[in-house]
Amino acid sequence: MPLGETPSLVRPAPAGRTNDADGTPRRARRPLGDRLAPFVLLLPAILIILVFRLWPLALGVNFSFTGDGDRDGTSVGFDNYVELFDDPVFRIALRNVGWLVLLLPVAVAIPGLLATFIFLRVPGHRFYRSVYFFPAVLSPVIVGSIFNLLLAFDGPLNRVLGAVGIAPVDWLGDSKVAIFTVVGVHVWATFGMALVVFLAGFATLDPALLDAARSDGASLPQVIRHVIVPGLSRTIQFVFVTTMIGMLTSMFGLIFVMTSGGPGGSTYLPEYYIWIQQGQLNRPALASAASTVLFLLMLVVGLAQVALLRRSGRED
Amino acid sequence: MRGARIGRWVVAGLMTALALATIYPLLFTANAAMKTRHEYILDRFSPATSVRWENLATAWTSAGMARYLANSFIVVTGAVLLLLLFGSMAGFALSHVRFRGSRALFLGCLAALFVPFQVIMVPLVRTMADVGLVDTYPGLILAYVAQFLPFTIFLMTTYYSGVPADLVDAARIDGNSLYGVYRRIMLPIGAPALLSVGVLDALFCWNDVLIALLMMPSAEHRTLMVGVTVLRGQYSADIPTFASGVLIAAVPVLAVYLFFQRRIADAVTAGSTKG
Repeated sequence: MPLGETPSLVRPAPAGRTNDADGTPRRARRPLGDRLAPFVLLLPAILIILVFRLWPLALGVNFSFTGDGDRDGTSVGFDNYVELFDDPVFRIALRNVGWLVLLLPVAVAIPGLLATFIFLRVPGHRFYRSVYFFPAVLSPVIVGSIFNLLLAFDGPLNRVLGAVGIAPVDWLGDSKVAIFTVVGVHVWATFGMALVVFLAGFATLDPALLDAARSDGASLPQVIRHVIVPGLSRTIQFVFVTTMIGMLTSMFGLIFVMTSGGPGGSTYLPEYYIWIQQGQLNRPALASAASTVLFLLMLVVGLAQVALLRRSGRED
Repeated sequence: MRGARIGRWVVAGLMTALALATIYPLLFTANAAMKTRHEYILDRFSPATSVRWENLATAWTSAGMARYLANSFIVVTGAVLLLLLFGSMAGFALSHVRFRGSRALFLGCLAALFVPFQVIMVPLVRTMADVGLVDTYPGLILAYVAQFLPFTIFLMTTYYSGVPADLVDAARIDGNSLYGVYRRIMLPIGAPALLSVGVLDALFCWNDVLIALLMMPSAEHRTLMVGVTVLRGQYSADIPTFASGVLIAAVPVLAVYLFFQRRIADAVTAGSTKG
């Protein structure tokens, strides 16, 4: 498929200039309509992105320094941020983000390892690829609904565990377990996405290197460490960043369906907190402060990961 | 050597187990949808004895899934058509037309890609409410277009960058305006990319619940995914009917997946090899 094979990002293209037989600058003779054409082509995109993506970002940051309710529209300085970090629920949300960061390597290693096996032509590799990818196209609402049935306290999973003598676990009702259950379901639903990205990365790997390593008698861990990881450093970096962004911004559906933030607020993430404050508790300014914190958090996590991976890439 | 071969089969066995774990939850749900309430309570695992159309019919009519499905269909169709139109126009301009600020515009578009919806949702919904677009089809369509346009432009620009400039030049010599080049050359040439990106955009919009919850508060405007969350509350004691609703909501996506598996995977990976 050509989509994956195009060589470069955007290059300045000489359209509209090359048909100058005499070499004089074409620009001067181009009719006004033609000069405006690129902007007409871009106008809907520019307007929509500016008005509905970038402007709200500025508006939201600004909004987070104003008050809610009685103080609507008046400047309150950092009051919202002070309240935010005093709120135990928001602190839980931040602590859960910490868990996500810690679990991130696992969420990247699983699809990475599976892609390695598929790449090394484990028996049945074609079949695995399409089966693993399939939950990635399901909505978090559908995934969450299905796992609500499976993980109910008297549900099938606990029955199976009971059959092999393990005590039932209250997957969604125990405040120490629930966040890990939700993250686990998220990983179940999305590892296929990262797997496909890894496989695309493998396609760019020089097979001669692998063959050489194998004929030298390198073991699988050695091949992974010395051939695959350095060869795929950009892919790994990409998967790290996209998986983290996915964990921070696409678990709303799962939380909404599976736990509604409970039990005891233990499965809150910043995105769910923002939604509750904005939609349910009518605290849009406080929600905006949480949005700004989430944005900064993503910026920091993203940049830190890129920096970290760059450094480890150089050491190899 | 022998050990390596055994290792391969052990890995294959583990991967098959994982494949089963990937499929089983959906099979369990489909099976539960084919049972009566009584059968489900007695035994969750045994295969259903017959196809219970009545469960599906209940979910379809009394739970209002038909209405939700129609809403989703309207909104997703509208959003995807606009995304492909605006995305291909911008992608063409950014990849093949030289003008001042082209690079800056592309970077601005990339920056927008990294502004998640959760970060802008409060002011966005407020703005939408100010102009009377909340709880309307155009409002939700516009919200989806805004959400997925940067991604669509990024992929279309990448794709069009691989189209030789000579092709555009030749069409210009033949007397085409830029609009003519877009319509006669770029749209047909972009068809494979438009299909891939369109399928992926459609999945994103179809699967969304957060934007739909915020933009469509009234019951008659619920999209299918919001409908499923409501169904869960309505039929918490009647798992087979609830499972039927989940099944109805999953089937269109499964069909799209079976038809377009390759295209979805291609669109997902298109962004990754560049970064």
